[in-house]
Amino acid sequence: MDACAGKYPILILATEDCSYPGANSVGQAHQNYPDNTYIIRTPTPALFPEKFYLDCFAKGVGGIIIMSCGVECPYEGAYPALAKRVNGIYALMKKQGLDIRRLRPTAICTVCNRAFIKEVNLMNQVVAELGAPGSEARAA
Amino acid sequence: MPNGDTQKFDSLVLGGGIAGLAAALDLADAGYRVAVVEQGATIGGKMIRLSKVFPTLDCASCITTSKMAAAAHHPNITLFTMCRLEEAQRVDGQVRARVAQMPRYVDPAKCIGCRQCEYECPVMVPDQEQGGFTARKAIYIPFSNAIPQLALIDREHCMMCGKCSQVCPTGAVDQLQVEQEFVIEADTMVLATGFELMTDFPARAYGNPGLGDNVISSLQMERLLAPHGPYMRALRPGDGKEPESIAFIQCAGSRDLQLGKPYCSRVCCMYAIKQAMLLSGALPLADLTIYYMDIRAFGKNYEQFYNNAKAMGVEFVKAKPIIAGNNQGGSVVLRYEDQEGGSGAKTREHDLVVLSLAMLPAFAPEEIVPVSSATDGFLKVPQPKLAPTLTDMEGVFTCGAAAGPKDIVDSIAEAGAAAMGAAKYLAARRGGQAA
Amino acid sequence: MSKLNNGQEPPKIGVYVCHCGGNISDHVDVASVVEQAGGLANVTVARDNSFMCSDPGQELIIEDITSGKVNRIVVASCAPALHETTFRGAIALAGMNPYLYEHANIREQVSWVHHGPGATGKATALVAAAVGKAGELEALEPIRVEAEAHATVLGGGVAGMSAARDLAAQGLRVALVEKSPFLGGQVAQLDKTFPSGEAAGEVLSALAAQVLADQRITVYTCAELSEYSGYVGSFKIKIRRTAPSGADLERLALVKDAQPGTFVPCVGVAAGPGPGEAEEVALVSGAIVLATGFEHYTPPMGEYGYGQMPEVITLPELIRLMADESATGEQLVVNGKTINNLALIHCVGSRQIPGVHQPGPDGKLNQHCSRVCCTATLQAACELREKFPETNVFELYRDIRTYGRGHEDYYLNAGRSGVIFARFTPEAPPVVTQGGEDSALTVTVPDKLLAGQELAIGVDLVVLAVGMEPRDNQALVEKMKLPVGADRFLLEVHPKLRPVELPAAGIYLAGACQAPMDTAEAANAAGAAAAKAGAILSAGFVELDPFVAEVDESKCVGSGACVQACLADEAIEMVDTPASKRARVNPALCMGCGVCVAACEQGAIELSGWTLGQYEAMVDAIVAQALRQGA
Ligand SMILES: Cc1cc2nc3c(=O)[nH]c(=O)nc-3n(C[C@H](O)[C@H](O)[C@H](O)COP(=O)(O)OP(=O)(O)OC[C@H]3O[C@@H](n4cnc5c(N)ncnc54)[C@H](O)[C@@H]3O)c2cc1C
Ligand SMILES: Cc1cc2nc3c(=O)[nH]c(=O)nc-3n(C[C@H](O)[C@H](O)[C@H](O)COP(=O)(O)OP(=O)(O)OC[C@H]3O[C@@H](n4cnc5c(N)ncnc54)[C@H](O)[C@@H]3O)c2cc1C
Ligand code: SF4
Ligand code: SF4
Ligand code: SF4
Ligand code: SF4
Ligand code: SF4
Repeated sequence: MDACAGKYPILILATEDCSYPGANSVGQAHQNYPDNTYIIRTPTPALFPEKFYLDCFAKGVGGIIIMSCGVECPYEGAYPALAKRVNGIYALMKKQGLDIRRLRPTAICTVCNRAFIKEVNLMNQVVAELGAPGSEARAA
Repeated sequence: MPNGDTQKFDSLVLGGGIAGLAAALDLADAGYRVAVVEQGATIGGKMIRLSKVFPTLDCASCITTSKMAAAAHHPNITLFTMCRLEEAQRVDGQVRARVAQMPRYVDPAKCIGCRQCEYECPVMVPDQEQGGFTARKAIYIPFSNAIPQLALIDREHCMMCGKCSQVCPTGAVDQLQVEQEFVIEADTMVLATGFELMTDFPARAYGNPGLGDNVISSLQMERLLAPHGPYMRALRPGDGKEPESIAFIQCAGSRDLQLGKPYCSRVCCMYAIKQAMLLSGALPLADLTIYYMDIRAFGKNYEQFYNNAKAMGVEFVKAKPIIAGNNQGGSVVLRYEDQEGGSGAKTREHDLVVLSLAMLPAFAPEEIVPVSSATDGFLKVPQPKLAPTLTDMEGVFTCGAAAGPKDIVDSIAEAGAAAMGAAKYLAARRGGQAA
Repeated sequence: MSKLNNGQEPPKIGVYVCHCGGNISDHVDVASVVEQAGGLANVTVARDNSFMCSDPGQELIIEDITSGKVNRIVVASCAPALHETTFRGAIALAGMNPYLYEHANIREQVSWVHHGPGATGKATALVAAAVGKAGELEALEPIRVEAEAHATVLGGGVAGMSAARDLAAQGLRVALVEKSPFLGGQVAQLDKTFPSGEAAGEVLSALAAQVLADQRITVYTCAELSEYSGYVGSFKIKIRRTAPSGADLERLALVKDAQPGTFVPCVGVAAGPGPGEAEEVALVSGAIVLATGFEHYTPPMGEYGYGQMPEVITLPELIRLMADESATGEQLVVNGKTINNLALIHCVGSRQIPGVHQPGPDGKLNQHCSRVCCTATLQAACELREKFPETNVFELYRDIRTYGRGHEDYYLNAGRSGVIFARFTPEAPPVVTQGGEDSALTVTVPDKLLAGQELAIGVDLVVLAVGMEPRDNQALVEKMKLPVGADRFLLEVHPKLRPVELPAAGIYLAGACQAPMDTAEAANAAGAAAAKAGAILSAGFVELDPFVAEVDESKCVGSGACVQACLADEAIEMVDTPASKRARVNPALCMGCGVCVAACEQGAIELSGWTLGQYEAMVDAIVAQALRQGA
């Protein structure tokens, strides 16, 4: 992977029930992926306010992948709530001149190894292309 | 487990498939101590081996792993894997079960599930967990979400090279392990031994999966469709061709008085529809045909699921074809009489044929447990309406596919009822009052 | 749990890094991870071990706790699914609150997927993140809710009676609430029941005898739920009983002198006379089981001639006709007319297709299959052929769904006994017309089994196999805010993970109110529901996970944004405090989804165990490490 991308950590918010075990399944298969990825466990990503995401970018996080359970979310209604929130965050990101590709909502299940790797690689490309968070605004 | 040791529980659950686990969890949540005795190296039964499950199409692994983990971590549940029930009788009011702990040749107390041994082992064996389509080693952990995560040695294939012992960081490999017998005593027992697919079905009429070229069983198709399957794509085993036309033969062995079993296996209509839908996603251009007798989409939201499949273009043909052989490209030639098309026999070729095989009982109680099976071979429940899960042995219940073919939803509901039966029996014993 | 180390003292964090016998240490420089962890704020101890999960590994933690060196623990090892509970257990053993623990996953998410210096860097960062979170951890206790050892069952059919019996057998007191004056539900309308052939009356009498004999069960007939509030462990409900009137009075007159428990065909099981005047009973109940059943589909005027031609009847009507023991002879006789030929039409009011079938009065179609009617119809066909060998029986069907154990036998027997089958498609259904050669009616249908050739059958009776429809229970649905599926049946949380539960804890589904099912299946569902209810109520209290939302009243400004956002009913509400309105969470109703956390602009709500402060600490640690490495 691009050495430059490695500088900017990618945060992965992964659900306890689906995508966190999914990430472990990638590990069990010993499949490699870039090491600037940090997986954080959460009951549901619906609990993060807009500010959390924006703060992350301000702190230097290059990209955030939300890995939820999708429609299999055990909290009835939380998945639609998350989808709505993401739209709100996109609006705020645009305002701050952040490329919205830096935030990507996905659904990853316990054995979606290929999908996991694909998402991680995609985000890495985006971060490699965009560089430091916020630099796209300055460039524009 | 030292030889001859006796362990006491409130309930013994035989079989760690979804039905056994659901029953065990209900009993454990009610405060009862439960032993789950499973003959295989992992709990989870057939369900953990499926791809996605009808009618919600959720990932089988995702919904099974959570139940498996809940059982494994439950303070009231003790799992015994690789254990064979030798005999269970009621002695002095207690179910006394003699259980044989089969050797893993790996010390479960030491193994950390790291698979170093697996990487080193030079022996390759067809992996039945992947439908036989890929290989595993002679020492192996069954699959990534197996519980417990412990290695075992397949002694039939091990060549005793000692590589695994050399690399094992914990010294867990123990080629000297022998079978140990111990006793479980419990007030109640739940038989949740599930099903097997018919294997010796009449090859003459249907062809044999694995034997006939490009004829596979429905469970093999589950593996082809699983996201963590053998090829991670739905390819034709053998030549790796992307199949352009796939057929399902329904009631293969079921509802068949002459050649197989007279009963309906109850889940195969729905899983064939499911597999066809998953295939149409994976191979959008493939022709998908289901040869059926009746489509039995009777459960909650099943009819709607069936209608979706029709809308997606899956073709349904009312016929019971026979396999006439393979053509030069390896495609399977089917001959059938279209019961609705009239005009005699027809012939059609498909790149891949899936047999929706009959479900058979996995457990024959004779000489092991004094409970009866019904004429269909599954365990008998003499009072289906008043005590739907009670067998003809006092305080012994059954649920899931052990009590007749059943899908997951119905297996879990029945498991709850079996747990209820056992809990009532226990409450009556403890409280001294009749339930 | 000891009062020591309960999270109140300043953090002293112990970090334990596992080699996993080379699995981790082959790719991660464990010594370096330990060294860097030792330098982090609040870390008082940093150690490594070849197997942290082994007894010696766990001993390290226990010793450091008991000697007072540490009061929060971080273990960096394999995936938490494998050993998080192991380490929490060790901590509890040492007398510390097990929630003062954080796990760093450096095997599945580091050493097995990254190699080279990056692996050590990432492991260091993950340990730093865990340390960051550990500093913010609080001791948690499971939430205890008092639970009344009482359950209420709504509906007195097979499912409701089975549930009541099973709940009582676990030592609970039970209120069985039945709307009509009788027990037994729809099964009372049946005669012989598949697959065993037992008489419906016998099944119901046996079940009712168990219910009526049980001192712990109180049966309220002529009763409905009138008030409902509360939550698992203590639902506050009122039952309103009304004096029977109209048809109910007539039916009650039939059983006037009968002992409670007596079965009267087509009516049900007598359970007392009902109240003389309206009365209301207040109850506190720990759990509620819904067993309100189904309704038979009533064909609209003209569907297959129903309502227009007296010779067109429904399957339940046929079952009642056949139950009449006095009816014997070579042929079935109905209303004085001999039936030479009889046609049974399947799927009436079931498996309806948009654009093909007419919606019902509510504008809805019954797209579901009713599951029982194929077998019930074949059972009737077999009985007809056996009792009245000169009455010819035609079955017009779409698919024969004799799925269950023993069901297929009816299909086989029907064929053997000379029942003639024709298959139709919903687009070209049978048409029933008046008159015919030597018959009262003619049924014409393109028979798919004969390549679509049109059959015209002269028949004297047409029987419609009407399906099972969801019961109209709008008042109850609204009062209890019950979820209803697209098929209008009550909707479970998840068909496989939680098949008899509703999203609100303590409320369960049993029987045909959830979906069509036969009596054995309804009894199974009832057992499953009773098992769940029994498990939570028999202890006298309910223990819930501590991971629920908590409001910091000093930060809350009473905006109510959380209440708006909350996904669970009444989990969070505004209460008056001396200052002003403040949000308050009801831990018994909160699902722990944290949607309210995201909605609160003041940051006044946190999810216990997963606070934003903890997450921020993790992000800070990760960014600091990553930027250090990148630089
Ligand atoms: C191809 C296919 C696809 C399917 N797809 C679906 C689907 O999409 N949706 C759905 O709802 N259902 C589906 N099913 C049905 C589903 O597999 C069953 O409903 C379910 O597995 C039944 O669970 P069980 O626990 O009763 O039995 P099993 O899963 O068979 O588990 C029984 C367990 O008991 C153990 N055991 C057996 N005998 C003994 C013994 N003597 N001692 C100790 N242990 C023993 C076995 O090793 C096994 O672990 C499918 C079935 C097949 C064949
Ligand atoms: C034509 C036909 C033939 C059948 N034949 C067979 C057969 O041979 N064998 C077999 O096993 N099954 C058969 N069945 C299925 C059987 O009828 C059902 O399985 C069974 O009735 C389901 O029981 P239940 O208790 O869930 O619902 P129900 O029998 O509908 O009972 C529900 C009860 O709840 C009461 N209730 C409703 N709303 C409220 C409320 N708000 N408050 C209080 N009480 C309320 C009702 O008055 C009723 O007493 C047949 C069904 C049909 C349609
Ligand atoms: S036997 Fe040894 S090498 Fe194999 S998985 Fe277990 S601990 Fe690892
Ligand atoms: S001893 Fe057997 S299991 Fe071990 S590595 Fe050699 S062949 Fe494989
Ligand atoms: S479920 Fe369908 S395929 Fe399976 S035996 Fe029954 S009718 Fe045949
Ligand atoms: S059970 Fe048979 S008659 Fe009833 S709706 Fe289903 S297919 Fe039609
Ligand atoms: S966590 Fe979810 S359920 Fe609980 S109060 Fe907040 S929004 Fe409601």
